[in-house]
Amino acid sequence: MNGARAFYRRNERLILGLAMIALFLIFWEGLSRGWWADLLRPLIRSSADKLKIKHIFVSSPTAVAVAAWRLYVVTGEIWPHLAISGLELVAGLGSAILVGIPLGLATGRYRLLSYAVEPFMAALNATPQVAFLPLIILWMGTGYGTRVFIIFLLTIIPIFISAFAAVRTVDARLLKVAASFGASEGFLFRSVVAPGSVPFLLAGLRLAIGRAMIGIVVGELYGSAIGLGLMINRAGSTFQTDTVFVGVMTIIFAGMALTELVSRIETRVEIWRPNARDAVQ
Amino acid sequence: MRPSVEKAIISGGSLALFLGIWEYSCGRLVDPMFLSSPSRVVAAGVDLVRTGEIWPDVLVSANEFIWGYLAAVAVAIPLGLFIGWNRRAQYMVQPFIDVMNAVPRITFLPILVIWFGIGIWSKLAVVFLGAVIPVTIAAYSGVKTNEARFLRVARSFGASGFKIFTSIILPGTVPFIFTGLKYGAGRALLGVVVGELYASTAGVGHMIAEAGNTLQTDVVFVGVLIFTVTGLVINGLLDRIEKRFERWRPAGARQ
Repeated sequence: MNGARAFYRRNERLILGLAMIALFLIFWEGLSRGWWADLLRPLIRSSADKLKIKHIFVSSPTAVAVAAWRLYVVTGEIWPHLAISGLELVAGLGSAILVGIPLGLATGRYRLLSYAVEPFMAALNATPQVAFLPLIILWMGTGYGTRVFIIFLLTIIPIFISAFAAVRTVDARLLKVAASFGASEGFLFRSVVAPGSVPFLLAGLRLAIGRAMIGIVVGELYGSAIGLGLMINRAGSTFQTDTVFVGVMTIIFAGMALTELVSRIETRVEIWRPNARDAVQ
Repeated sequence: MRPSVEKAIISGGSLALFLGIWEYSCGRLVDPMFLSSPSRVVAAGVDLVRTGEIWPDVLVSANEFIWGYLAAVAVAIPLGLFIGWNRRAQYMVQPFIDVMNAVPRITFLPILVIWFGIGIWSKLAVVFLGAVIPVTIAAYSGVKTNEARFLRVARSFGASGFKIFTSIILPGTVPFIFTGLKYGAGRALLGVVVGELYASTAGVGHMIAEAGNTLQTDVVFVGVLIFTVTGLVINGLLDRIEKRFERWRPAGARQ
């Protein structure tokens, strides 16, 4: 008995967490199968019928699992959607990195440039960028370009800001020493600025991934012919709630995996500059 | 030249240049249908205000934002404080918060529309979900970063749990909560936009979507501008409050 208690003490976090998840799943399953309605009928009589919720409204964990099996394994129809969404993410995020990092570094280094760029970045940052979506569709149609562009708009902000912050927090003494020894701008950049900025850029990337997921979902919900967001949207409008949940779960796992990946790399290089995380947020 | 003057000149100059190029290229280089122009956008904005056409949409969006956000704050702050204070509660709630934090909450929109319809309720729900997670996390991590020294001192002088909570934990958490409120407001605004773009019958997002479908580019820009100004105002306001309470942040957690 004591052994069991000690085991519980050691793994309290895991046990309580899993227990709550299990309870939640049972509650959900019961909701769609009418367990709770049947259970409470003697107590609340006819109003128990209100607890009988139509399956299309809530689906159930087992139905979602079955749908996931069907979509991933039997028909495999989710893979093309997944591949397209992944490509859009890579292209949008990649172009944001290609533009955002140089722009952020240059803006951080040259004061006058920062004056010129800042108003635009502040405005873009304050706007929920997805509001541009109808406009982008007008310009580029409903093809991949639209999604890549909206992901670009969403992700360039955190990447730009992190690159900007990286340059601004470089130790001024280091710059002064290097400059007084006659280091060229290029050398200064390679040997002082670039190494110090890596942790910042990773912190920015972590934020950008979260925003890229927003871009994928919204871009595809709003106007698209393929992709995870479209799958969710189509399933939603045809009341296939289980398929909607499969899509949502897929996005949850993808988001967690990508964020975890960047966090891992981050903790690895964290030693280089301990407060990069705070400065970007 | 003083830096602030220099800044004003260059910032203003680059904005003016941008608007000038936009104005010039419209009709000459690009079809106005695609790009509109600053003057047309202003004209459309004035027109929408003069006819009063815009107010019902603004009102709907404002309602969605305000009530969804307030509901989220009303739930998130007590919840965050509680799970920060009570370890077992944290263990129980954490997995759900982690999962919800990993996914853009707007992903749930199709389900919320099935549950609540395309009226204001589905938007309230998505605004609520968007804002509730960052505020909860902020309140909770605020409690967690309280200085252990203070707690130990308070305990050794025999302070009750309630006293410790109100005199040490709560003040130390306030700055974190305001940071969370700022994130939450951004998410809430995003929820309004996406919710209305996706399926709605009214609201500024609805106005943007409809104008986009009917190629009224100037009206689209008016709508986007409304969101930009709203975002700037909310950000500025919360930034100021956040700075005001910055001194309350426990010394170990200053940024």
